[in-house]
Amino acid sequence: MPLLKFIFSIFVAVWFFVGVSGTTYAGSLLQDLENALMCKCDDKCGKVLVNCTCSTSDKTRAKFSKMLDSGLTVDQIIKSQVDEYGETVLSAPTKFGFNLTAWVMPFIALVAGGVGVRKVIYSWVGKKEKTATQNDEPEEKTATSEKYSKRLQDELDGIEL
Amino acid sequence: MNDIGEFTLLIALATAIYGCVAYIMAARGNRIDLYLSADKTPLIVWGCVMISSICLWRAFLTNDFSLQYVWAYSNIELDTFYKVASFWGGQKGSLLFWTLLLTTYTVVVHFQNRKKNLRVVPYAMAVLLTIIIFFLCLVNFSTNPFERIPLPPEDGRGLNPLLQNYWMVIHPPTLYLGYVGFTVPFAFAVAALISKNLDDGWIRLTRKWTLISWFFLCMGNLFGASWAYVELGWGGYWAWDPVENAAFMPLLIATAFLHSIMIQEKKDMMKVWNMSLVLLTFVMTIFGTFITRSGLIQSVHTFDEATLGYYFLAFLFVILFACTALIVSRLPLLKSKNQLDSFLSRESGFLFNNLLLLGIAFATFWGTIFPIISEAVRGIKITVGPPFYNQVNVPIGLALLALVGIGPVIAWRRATLSNLKKNFLKPLAAAFITAVALFPVIPLGSRVENYTYVAFILCAFVMTCILSEFYKGTASRMGLHEESMFGALATVTWRNKRRYGGYIVHIGVVLIFAGIAGSQAYGTHVEKHLKPGETFKIRGYDITYEKLVAVEATSVKTRVIAQLDVKRNGNHYWTARPEKEFYKGQNQPVSEVDVLSTWREDLYMILADFRDDESATIKVYVNPMVSWMWTGGWIIAFGTMISMWPDRLEQRRRLERFRREETLFPSPAQE
Repeated sequence: MPLLKFIFSIFVAVWFFVGVSGTTYAGSLLQDLENALMCKCDDKCGKVLVNCTCSTSDKTRAKFSKMLDSGLTVDQIIKSQVDEYGETVLSAPTKFGFNLTAWVMPFIALVAGGVGVRKVIYSWVGKKEKTATQNDEPEEKTATSEKYSKRLQDELDGIEL
Repeated sequence: MNDIGEFTLLIALATAIYGCVAYIMAARGNRIDLYLSADKTPLIVWGCVMISSICLWRAFLTNDFSLQYVWAYSNIELDTFYKVASFWGGQKGSLLFWTLLLTTYTVVVHFQNRKKNLRVVPYAMAVLLTIIIFFLCLVNFSTNPFERIPLPPEDGRGLNPLLQNYWMVIHPPTLYLGYVGFTVPFAFAVAALISKNLDDGWIRLTRKWTLISWFFLCMGNLFGASWAYVELGWGGYWAWDPVENAAFMPLLIATAFLHSIMIQEKKDMMKVWNMSLVLLTFVMTIFGTFITRSGLIQSVHTFDEATLGYYFLAFLFVILFACTALIVSRLPLLKSKNQLDSFLSRESGFLFNNLLLLGIAFATFWGTIFPIISEAVRGIKITVGPPFYNQVNVPIGLALLALVGIGPVIAWRRATLSNLKKNFLKPLAAAFITAVALFPVIPLGSRVENYTYVAFILCAFVMTCILSEFYKGTASRMGLHEESMFGALATVTWRNKRRYGGYIVHIGVVLIFAGIAGSQAYGTHVEKHLKPGETFKIRGYDITYEKLVAVEATSVKTRVIAQLDVKRNGNHYWTARPEKEFYKGQNQPVSEVDVLSTWREDLYMILADFRDDESATIKVYVNPMVSWMWTGGWIIAFGTMISMWPDRLEQRRRLERFRREETLFPSPAQE
């Protein structure tokens, strides 16, 4: 069914394009920073800055606002934070080196699973066809049964079991 | 009373051990005397754990601070409502509560199957009792809630203020009912493997248990999200915290299981797969408990005394090893015909649905454990937070959403082009119209906005798919029986509870997707430091800060309330009263947000800070479509109820089947 394959390909293309297109967030630069960094309060709250409500997070936001006003870019501020606290201050793994495995692994698993499922389904369909061939009836019977099979199939298509 | 509570826990443990051994020996040796003796143990164990729990509740309600646990999680001033809920507020009590729920479920299973399914039930009871033994060992020897303080203090430390919310009474029990409930399908699956009764009997026996557990876990997650939304004061509801993930993963796997058992029931296929899914669901519930109680992964939800990790890890490995060995040893018996008519069929749709659900579960699992892997490999601890999960799970989730629409409409066995055209033309048209209609009005550009656009298109597609199914059923009934539209709709739904209940659940899922998409992409917030009388604007609202009021609510709690007047189009719209609560002996105040929720958007107010001159820092979020999520949750609850509602026809079929079945032990009449 080439039409279905075409629709499926378009769906996958859109899916992929949307995933790689555009910036991550639509908000302000401060919001980008709040999303990219963890709160480093004494309580070790373990929250992303944008989700944190402690007094440390308020101070951090004020500090970042000042840094942005002084002309520093988001990347420069993030780098300064990583230098101060280490990689743990980032709210998500970087996309290079060993950390890349964090990002890639789920999709590798999904693609491998998809290939596996496709193979399994085709093998099950093949098994059915093989069984059907082995159980072939004489020709005059097949013509009649085909007629009824087709009618049954048409009706089954229309109803739910 | 405390001595009684402690003692009954020991009796429960001894009885559970006896019961477990007796059930196994009865089943293996066909000994009815042992079976009848073992059959009394579930009730005794439940009774003992219940007495113990009542003793602990009594200690909370009577302020018995001689118990270390009561001292740590309660105080004299605590409301009775929260004293009852403090039972599960800490590690020790929550484990006892878990045990109480597990023994309660076991008793229900015991009464449900007293005189039937005797080839499987003794083993299932033995498995349930084994798990009860594990928890009773923890409660007796590692985290005993009846541990005493030699010199009892006059007052307790009190419950964490964040837990003093009505959701504390609702959310943990609901979540636990879900977590613990998955033990029952697990027990029956293992029993089927041990007893070699590997037809779909165990699935029929446990389908409702799986559905009930799924329902509670789903509701537990939504209640948790709701609690976070109103209590934590950051304007959101889900933070991809490891403990939240731990509750999310079994839900996904159980959802995959609930879908794939339909193939086993209809076509006697995928036996190994279904068995693996039900075992994996249970393993994930234990993994979740391990995360919450190990302290290995940083989370706001973990318990203070996170020392139980090793026990749960060992238990987890034992289960994994035993289950894998059992499945491998029974592989020849689990073989099924595994034949499909066509690649393009509902069966294939279910397989891909399983793939995507497990894909999200794996991505979530991978993200949860990646900090540990990174530390082990590189020696550097990293954080895996919301940006990772959103970027990885959202595209997979959208593909899953598409399948929610495709699955119910595509034909079983073989879908033909004419069938596809007939069923998908209207949904595709709805999707196209939505795409065209939304394109000029909603912002696009950022990844979140693009995903949201796609999500809305898919929501329209899926909703049309589901509604057209309702329409088809109703229209054919109206034509055949000349019923009114609502009458026909009700009859069609009632006569096919499982199918239409499932569709209703899908409608709820669509609303949740729409709510998440809308709130994530189009939310906005502003933070202002204001003096009384000052006004600011946000998304068409004019908000005036009026005054600050301090109220001493109780001797341990003081509330500071900010009053704000909200105008829309120049007219008074709402008076908001966000507040901060100060608890005696607590360093950090707690924010109590005020939310005005409409179907369009939530106006969410937080009193972030205030000063002596009555100036205050106010944070306002405008979160679109959040109420769609909660509505979706209630629709899921309604759909699940319909799906689970007893079906007389099915019951009759089952009864006939049980009558035909041979039993392990003959009834006295047969003897």
